[in-house]
Amino acid sequence: MTPLIKVSNLVKRFGGIVAVNNVSFEIHKGETLGFIGPNGAGKSTVVNCLTGYLPATSGKIEMNGVDITDMKPHQRAYMGLARTYQIPRPFPELTALTSVLASSIAGKKRINQSFQDAMYDATHYLEFVGLFSKRNILARDLTFYELRMLELARALATTPQLLFIDEVMAGLNPGEANKAIHMIARAKEQFGVTIFWIEHVMAVLMEAADRIVAINYGAKLAEGTPDEVVNNDDVIEAYLGRGWREYA
Amino acid sequence: MVEMELKRDRIVIRLGTKKWEWVLEPRYWRNTLIWVALLFIAPTVCYFVSPGLINTMISANIYAAIAMPLALMTIGTGRMNFGPQFYIGVGGYAAALLSIAYGWGPLTTLPFAILITMIAAFLFSPLVIMARGLYYVLLTLLLPLVFLEVTFIYTDIFKGDTGLFGIVPLLDTGNAKNNFLIIGYLSTVIMFAYLWIINKVLKSRYGLLMASINDDEDVAHSIGININKIKIIAFVAASTMVGIIGWFYAHYFSSFAGITYLPLTFMLKILLVLMIGGRAQIFGCVVGGYFVSFLEMLLIRYMGPIQPVVFPIILLALLFALPEGLFGLYRKRRYREYLPTIHVRR
Amino acid sequence: MWTYIQSVVVFTFVLGSIYLLIALGFSLICGVLRIFHLGYAYIFPLTVYGTWMFMSALDWPLIPSILGMVVVQFIVAILIYKGMIKKYLATEDVLLTALLLVALIVEQAANYFYPVQAGVYLETTLMAGTFQFWDVVVPKQLMVGAVIALALTGAFVFFFVKTKTGMAIRALSQDIYSSKIVGINVETLYMFTMMIVLLPVIIGMLIVSPVWSVEPGMGWMYMVTAILIAVLGGLGNIKGTIMASFLIGFTHAIICFVIGEPRFMNLSALILVMVILVIRPQGLARSESLW
Repeated sequence: MTPLIKVSNLVKRFGGIVAVNNVSFEIHKGETLGFIGPNGAGKSTVVNCLTGYLPATSGKIEMNGVDITDMKPHQRAYMGLARTYQIPRPFPELTALTSVLASSIAGKKRINQSFQDAMYDATHYLEFVGLFSKRNILARDLTFYELRMLELARALATTPQLLFIDEVMAGLNPGEANKAIHMIARAKEQFGVTIFWIEHVMAVLMEAADRIVAINYGAKLAEGTPDEVVNNDDVIEAYLGRGWREYA
Repeated sequence: MVEMELKRDRIVIRLGTKKWEWVLEPRYWRNTLIWVALLFIAPTVCYFVSPGLINTMISANIYAAIAMPLALMTIGTGRMNFGPQFYIGVGGYAAALLSIAYGWGPLTTLPFAILITMIAAFLFSPLVIMARGLYYVLLTLLLPLVFLEVTFIYTDIFKGDTGLFGIVPLLDTGNAKNNFLIIGYLSTVIMFAYLWIINKVLKSRYGLLMASINDDEDVAHSIGININKIKIIAFVAASTMVGIIGWFYAHYFSSFAGITYLPLTFMLKILLVLMIGGRAQIFGCVVGGYFVSFLEMLLIRYMGPIQPVVFPIILLALLFALPEGLFGLYRKRRYREYLPTIHVRR
Repeated sequence: MWTYIQSVVVFTFVLGSIYLLIALGFSLICGVLRIFHLGYAYIFPLTVYGTWMFMSALDWPLIPSILGMVVVQFIVAILIYKGMIKKYLATEDVLLTALLLVALIVEQAANYFYPVQAGVYLETTLMAGTFQFWDVVVPKQLMVGAVIALALTGAFVFFFVKTKTGMAIRALSQDIYSSKIVGINVETLYMFTMMIVLLPVIIGMLIVSPVWSVEPGMGWMYMVTAILIAVLGGLGNIKGTIMASFLIGFTHAIICFVIGEPRFMNLSALILVMVILVIRPQGLARSESLW
């Protein structure tokens, strides 16, 4: 079976700094892949390379066997990649409904869809994330949690195969974070999307993820089931520092 | 093949796998019809009362017709163009030079003016992709000034110092008053055509895509909008619409001089129509156009030589006094209505 | 050939220095306030016609008139800062339009009270006559202006590098929020910047007014040069501004004396700027810092 996404030897340099160094991994259809690493490990850079926001310096990205390394972000969106941002980036002057509507029109090409049909579509996604009552409020007036949910709806409305989730927990209180995690699980069930989940908080991924990839300083440290990764010495060292055993 | 289907309240148009719905709601047409009727009756009334007013109406319509494409361009490219008058120059000079060289009438020069403006706009369209923020402001600000300089350097072609004369007039019925009336109607038709087209575009899906580009380009790109295509199309289409106004000016006055339209002062007037009318709202452009040109006319008539000083002072005061423009006084924001922010610095 | 080189060298120096005077203020506003001061064109006519107004309407002698004009300039700068820039720094479309309007109002007012035919002439000649360098003839006034320009730029650089206030302004140009946190009075410094940037322009205008032509609409032309230099120099870097001024001066000198077509001056400068922007999109120097 060809993997949904196959990343081979991805390298990204910013001037002299190597942000991503020779990272290779695969994402399989239907799984939840966790992606962890300490601050500044290059997690977001990997996502930016995969979604086409930044061009990769070298390496190859394949999706369903098609080379997408040189594609532009909108072409990748047609292929079925969608993302949310670590710091929510709504369209500030559009209402919640129209923001989702925009991505419902713009995402993967859908046949026989008029503007009004797209509106029904958008309403559905908005209802799914629980923002239907806020549909006519400007996106800049929403709260932080609502913005996260709006981003999720906006990403889902492009009908992605693979959804990149960038630190959904950041800035949410425990109750909201819990709701968000359940929302992502439901999205996976209902829409059949594969999820690539970047997270700082290990505990979340321990429950949710099927597999985990850990990176540090731009290089891959470990890959495997959550238990394997958490017990990996390199990973623990990356998080806790060298000599952690003396204090354990 | 195009298939059309009439439903109870809408026309459904299908082309291949694409589908458009055009909602027809006659109960919402009242205000539109009233305003259209008023603007169409006005030239005839002026014709009998005070023919000079038709001239003011023509300039009002034309200001509005320049400001509306500028609003479209501002939203569609997500940048503020400070040099729309460049395309007036291109379209005007194209029409004027062709008309003088070959003796062509306005209808013959129109396609050439459109074509040449389109090519010019297309040549400069990479600007909307490459230049950002203040660099875009600078480059668009300087383009018309450079063009003005070129008209003075190649005086033998462009007649930068005296202006081009002897362009075939727009129409000639033998009676100057009747000419005015017909040209007044023509300008109104142009203005309404622009208003209708741009309003339709902005309300359609393409308008929504433009709105999202105006709000956040990178996010718009990542949700699957081909931003470069939309920006270039918006830029070229709006520039061409402005270029048609240049053609109109050239044939209307049957003379064309770059020094009238290319300096910053003319651009400032257009910018004020846009801002005082209603901050890049197209209906506001019409209000602003009529307001600015009638204010100018009144000041010229009653203030005499101090008018050039008083006119900008009044506009400056209005710019500060009306945060949402004149149109904002009449219409408050509604749900799902996109009120664009104009981005200068990104 | 030798004559060409001489005239290019001499006029690069003279023109470059005077352009530096014209553009320094614009560039500093770009650097500190991070806006295009499109109203910059108002300063030029206000300098000349303000002084002329005091001289002709009130019959003041030259020096008090100049002082009076400087006071008027400061007041106008403060009004512009308080009334427009401070209020509309976030909505730049309004700000740029309003600033353009100010320039237009000043130009039209000057034109109303003293039209081109009025024969405005300021007796600010410091040295009459001409210098002769080898075969090149330069008005002494422009040479003096060039020297003053360099001295003034030196003073500005010293101010920004060595003094506390200069440091604070440089910090402010990098990040407003952090500057506020460390205790910099943003308001006062902005106002101070708005005022000191007037000095080079005023001095430059007074020096060139006996030599170059004076008309109400002259501000736009100088502002275009200032914009070109500021952009070429990287929007607000003094080093870049100095380099860019002399580069533009050099281009103008070449166009005038080697090619012999003064009409192409602005066009060639613009093409130069565009070419350099394609190669180095950030301008000649980094725009993040003032020096």
